[in-house]
Order: sequence, then structure tokens, then C-alpha cells
Amino acid sequence: MAGLELLSDQGYRLDGRKATELRKVQARMGVFSQADGSAYIEQGNTKALAVVYGPHEVRGSRSRTLHDRAVINCQYSMATFSTAERKRRPHGDRKSAEMSLHLKQTFEAAVMTQLYPRSQIDIYVKILQSDGGNYSVCVNAATLAVIDAGIPMRDYVCACTVGFVDETPLADLCYAEEGGGGSSLALALLPRGGQIALLQMDAMTACKGVSKVLDEVVRQHLQDVSVLTRE
Amino acid sequence: MATVQVSEAEKVYILHGIRDDLRVDGRSCEDYRHMEIETDVVSNTDGSAKVTLGHTVVLVGIKAEIGKPRPMVPDEGYLEFFVDCSANATPEFEGRGGEELGTELSNTLYKVFNNKRSLDMKSLCISPGEHCWLLYVDVLLLQCDGNLYDAISIAVKAALFNTKIPRVHISADDEGGKEIELSDDPYDCVRINVENVPCIVTLCKVGHRHVVDATLQEKACSVASLIISVTHKGTVTCVRKVGGGSLDPESIFEMTEAGKRVGKALHAPLMKLLQQEESLGKKRQKVGFLG
Amino acid sequence: MASDMRLPVLRKAVSVSSAGSDRADHKDLVVPGDVITSDPGFMRGHGTYIDEEKLTASVAGEVERVDKLICVRPIKTRFNGEVGDVVVGRITEVQQKRWKVETNSRLDSVLLLSSVNLPGGELRRRSAEDELTMRDYLQEGDLISAEVQSVFSDGALLLHTRSLKYGKLGQGVLVQISPALIKRQKTHFHNLPCGASIILGNNGFVWLYPTPGQQEEEAGGFYTSLEPVSLADREVISRLRNCLLALAAHKVLLYDTSILYCYESSLPHQVKDILKPEVMEEIIMLTHHKLMEQES
Repeated sequence: MAGLELLSDQGYRLDGRKATELRKVQARMGVFSQADGSAYIEQGNTKALAVVYGPHEVRGSRSRTLHDRAVINCQYSMATFSTAERKRRPHGDRKSAEMSLHLKQTFEAAVMTQLYPRSQIDIYVKILQSDGGNYSVCVNAATLAVIDAGIPMRDYVCACTVGFVDETPLADLCYAEEGGGGSSLALALLPRGGQIALLQMDAMTACKGVSKVLDEVVRQHLQDVSVLTRE
Repeated sequence: MATVQVSEAEKVYILHGIRDDLRVDGRSCEDYRHMEIETDVVSNTDGSAKVTLGHTVVLVGIKAEIGKPRPMVPDEGYLEFFVDCSANATPEFEGRGGEELGTELSNTLYKVFNNKRSLDMKSLCISPGEHCWLLYVDVLLLQCDGNLYDAISIAVKAALFNTKIPRVHISADDEGGKEIELSDDPYDCVRINVENVPCIVTLCKVGHRHVVDATLQEKACSVASLIISVTHKGTVTCVRKVGGGSLDPESIFEMTEAGKRVGKALHAPLMKLLQQEESLGKKRQKVGFLG
Repeated sequence: MASDMRLPVLRKAVSVSSAGSDRADHKDLVVPGDVITSDPGFMRGHGTYIDEEKLTASVAGEVERVDKLICVRPIKTRFNGEVGDVVVGRITEVQQKRWKVETNSRLDSVLLLSSVNLPGGELRRRSAEDELTMRDYLQEGDLISAEVQSVFSDGALLLHTRSLKYGKLGQGVLVQISPALIKRQKTHFHNLPCGASIILGNNGFVWLYPTPGQQEEEAGGFYTSLEPVSLADREVISRLRNCLLALAAHKVLLYDTSILYCYESSLPHQVKDILKPEVMEEIIMLTHHKLMEQES
């Protein structure tokens, strides 16, 4: 019976959206000047910051250096005040480690690391406010930050969380919907080729919706900061 | 960028400049850089603030929870500080790299607030010995460009000003115990009086003079710094020396006097700005990181 | 004592005059994944890759077409050095017979002991003693100006300072900005008429220093004067530094003329006020106007 609460008879969700409607996305690139690339994204009430350092010389253990491509190093962490109940440790718990690994695998597939042998690229994502879809918002923020750093990528990486209620797919879940019973799936996708395994057609359309929004953000940013060159 | 490397010749240049009261960016020894303050940036908290000082960016979130008061002081609430030096600021802070600096910063914050006058802890008490308000003050360091203590203390003061604690009604329940009811109305809340909350001023000793709001390059030229927390009346609540060098007693006295002067002058514009922001209310366009 | 506190404001980028916006329309801006062309006759350059016989962009930036070569230049990136570039770098490590130099590129650059000018003449053979006393010449933290001699296969740069104009840098101020904002010119060493000298490193490191007097020029190499710099020179250098940061914040291409115009536009203001947002905008607008006038 949880399905009835999440999706009303007229087809409206808890926050008034339709089943396949995405939350409002606002984003900004180049938020921090000291990092090589940075981005801030708001998807509904979930806010995330991503920062990219690199490519640079491998710090710490030289043994991690790969001779033919770059090492990608990710860290996912949440601000202690990001969740409704205060989180004791920002990172270091199992969930953060799992998310960091997920991010690393996602970006290793998209970033053209073979152009940067023996270097390291650091991607750090911080969730400032958590209202569902943490992984997806992180991936979207990290994509914008990597583009801002000028690191070559095959394509955007867009992510979205999708859930199912009574055979109706709901796109872009918020916190209440994630916990309200029913399954959810987070999907990261390279929109143009449709690469990275997809299980549902609806997840793909939701992700393509996200990719359109991110594309707009990057093009607007490009227009704003194009250098005035004299020829 | 927690620290930067500076060559010997650059150090000499900076030293002579400070001696002549003309720093590398044109400021005098007691000038602050451009500062931007905004409150109510994170909605999951009871109070929050974001401060940008030069390139240093600090975000503070305050959550109020009901807990048991400490046994020594049953009629007071208390504050818990946590400083998270995130990897966003510099790759050196990845994993556990930022823990040392974070612990040092939070310990200093504890010392600064560990007195009767900064905050009225009795106002945080709900029922003596049983329930009190416990404020978790979480500081998130996002970008590091020197002068962390000052930026953090200003952000904490702004966040405390912005904190709205729900009003509590105590009623006796059936078994004779106490039942706590939080008011449902989001506007029915208690504000904290932050008049006496101190601000921290960091004075770095470079050569024979001291500078306020040192950049990372200036910090690399200094051997020792003095951290002073000052209230709006000029009362000093905590003095600490950090850094590996030593300071002679006269310079400590001189720096304390300068710190008192500078710190006292910080409060008035800050309170004015916070009140101005509050009076704008809903009309204020929230900027956050989208600016 | 002054503290400038204010509320943040949503800032729009400085609007360029109509002439500039025309130029913006001609630019071909692409994002990763955009197909540039399907014509097999083009060669692919930096910032592109071939996907199913289509030339696709891999970074977000401007498309540059030089005859049959297409490449995409990103707006912000680490320094990709080419032979002949002038760089300003900081020594990070002293190793056996060479120094590692940080130049804001993706790998640390290398400066060999045999590529520097030792005091005592150029033609001296490097002895074992020289190896042991490398730290006397350059130690960790020192700044140098050098030229790129060659590029290794993994992208690391090999530097040399085999000319009297390169070498260890003395007193002055280093400003770090994005390499994409430095215009390529014939010379990167300028003695500005306002009273200071500047080295515009292609890697985004800009070095400001007081113009050396006649006698000091002869010493070259590794002599660094530790005499206090005069207050007037200091003010010029501080003003230039703030102007550089203002230009970089508004994404204006940096070369000697634009820096000079910015300096002149900033004279009515106090040095420390230049970095305030509204003052910065005003100064950049004036600089744009002067640059436009100079064009026409």
C-alpha cells in the first residue's frame, strides 16, 4: 500500500511532480579558483560540490603510478550537517568507500586516461545537502568538474535514480521516495552512445533528460568565459 | 594548499614590505581582505552560514538536538564542535590527512567558547538534570587561502545568529514523568543572543612586525602566530600561540593589544551586516555557490 | 584598520561591447561528445578523438581549424609545453644531477645540471663537486625562469637555462593564473614603462620584479640581490599584481599592452581596492574600451 502514497491516483508524486519529471537542476562551473576544475549542482534539494585536481604528478606512493595511463582517485564524502539526522563521520564508513569506488569505476570508463601516463587525477565530491539521489548528483557534479578542468572525456556521464511503484517508473527519486518501499536503481550513462549497462528504458530517458540539462549548463559557461582573442 | 613554498628572495621581499607597511597585495598590516558573508545556505540545519575571506571558503552548519546535560553543570546546555578539513581544499586532506588540522581547529574553538559570558548556556536548558539543548556546530573547510581561524570564528558567529531553535513545552504526562513537545509552528522559535560571542584574530609575526589576515605566502615567512579571541567589548577570552618559533614577551603584549583593537572593530560591521541580511527576509536573493 | 564585509551578490560576467559579441558568434564552441565533422579528409589534433569515423570533441572549448588539422582548445587546462616556451617554475626536488621543477603541467618538469649556467663561465665541465653542491645553486622552493628544450614521450618537459636572461629569480612577486590566458608573443620579458619588469611564463606563472639597475644586469645567472626594494617600486608591483588578478578573473588575454592599459585604468583607485568586485568591473570595462580603440 506504500505505492498509493508515493503516487496519487491523478499521477502526482509527494512533491507534486509527475512520474517521469525530473527535479529542477541548477548548476555552476568554476566555483573554486584554486582547484583545476570545480562545479556545484543542485537537483531539487540535494546539493553537491565536486572538485578536480590534476592531472598532476602522482603523490604519495609512487608504486601506484601506471606507465600507460593516469590513475583516477575519487573520494565521496558527506557534510555532517547534510542529512536530517547528524552524521558522525563525513567519510571513512563503508557506504562512502563503496560510493568512492563506484565513482572511480564510472570515470575510468569515461575519462581518456591513456593521454596522461604516469599522472594522477583526483576527483573529490562533497554532499552539502542530502535529499535523495546522492550518487546521481555526485556523478553529474563530477562530470561538470572534469569538463571544467579541461580533461578529455569521451562523453558526458549523466546519472539518475529511478524507482518503481506498481509498475510505474518514477524518475529522480527524492529521499522520502527512496525510503518509502519499492526498489530504486541508480544509473550512470554516456548519453550519446548509450554505453554503461542499462536495465530499463525509462532509466535511459530520464538520464537523457539529465544530459540535456548538463549540456545547457556547459554551453552557457563556455559562452560566458570565452576568452576575447585578438587575431 | 595548506602550505606553499616560498623562495628565500621572496621571503626577503615580503619581510621588507611588511616592515614598510605595504604588503604584496597593497594592504596595510592590519587590513582584512574582501569578505563575503551569507547565512541560511543549507536547509537541513537549524542555522548555517558561509564565509568567503579572500579565497578561503568556510561553511558552518548548526544542528540542535535534545540531550542529557553534563553532570557538572546540570542546568546548562552545551556546544559540540567538529571541523572537517575536506579534500576539496587540497589533496593533502584526503582520507585522514585533514584530521590533525581539524582537531587543532576544533580544540581551539572549544577553548574560545569555554567561558560563562560568550553564550548564555542556561538559556539552552530545558529541564535541569534531564534535558537540554545540545548544539552541534559543524565547520566545513572548502578552500584554504590562509587565516582559517578568523574565517571560522566569523562563520560560527553568523551561523549562531541565524540559528532558530524550536520552542519547547514541557508537560507532565500520565506516569508523573515529563513529556517534551516541540512546537509545530516553524516560526515559533528561540533565537540565541550572540552579542558576546567572540571573534578570533590571528596575528602572524613576520620580522619585527605583526600582520592580520596573513596569506599563505606571508604565513610561510612567519615563525610564530598569536591567536586571540576578542568580544565586542574588547574582552579577551582565549590567547594561544601557534607555530614553531618563539615570541618575546614584549611582542606578545604588543600583539595582544593590536589583536584587541582589531577584534573589537570586527563585531560592529558584522552584526550590522547580519541584521541587514535578516531584514531583507524573503526578498533577499539567495546566492550560495551559484554566484 | 579596515575590514570590508558584505553580502554576496549574484554577479553576471562583464558585458562586452557589441563588437566583441560579434566575434563570439564566429567562435565554434563544442562540448565533449559533439561531432565536429564526418569528413575523413581532416586530421585530428588535441582535444578530439575518432569515434566510428566521426571526428568528435573530447573537451569543452573552441574549435581551431588550421588547414586540415582540427583541434579543440579548452578554456582552462594544465600547461601543455612546447619546445621554445618560456616558463617560470619552482624547484620541488633536488635529485642526482638534476632538479625537478613544478610548472603547472601534468608532470613535473626536469632541469638537468648540464643545462644550467654555472658561475665561472659557460664552458666549464661539470665535476663531481658540482653534483654535491647542487643545493648551493638551486634549492627547494627557489624560482627559476627557463626555456623548454624538449618534451619527453609521456609529456614531461625538459628545461634549460643556457642563456643569461634565464636563471634563478630574485626578489619579486609570483602570480599564478591559467595558462590559456597568456598570449603567445615574440618575447615574454618586458620592462614596463610604469617602473617594474615582468616575465609572462607560458605556463601561467607570471613574475613581477623591480627593474634591475645597470650593474646587476652583468652578473646574470645566480646572483640575487637582497637589498630592500624602494617603496615606490613596491607600490607599482603591488598594483600590477592586483591588476593581473583582476584581468585573470575576467578572462582577459594577458600581454604587455593589456596589462599596461589595466594599470593605467587602475591609477585613480587605491592599490588594495582594486580587488573589490565593483572596482574590478570598472577597471576591466575601461581596459576593454582602450583595447577596442587600439584595434580600430
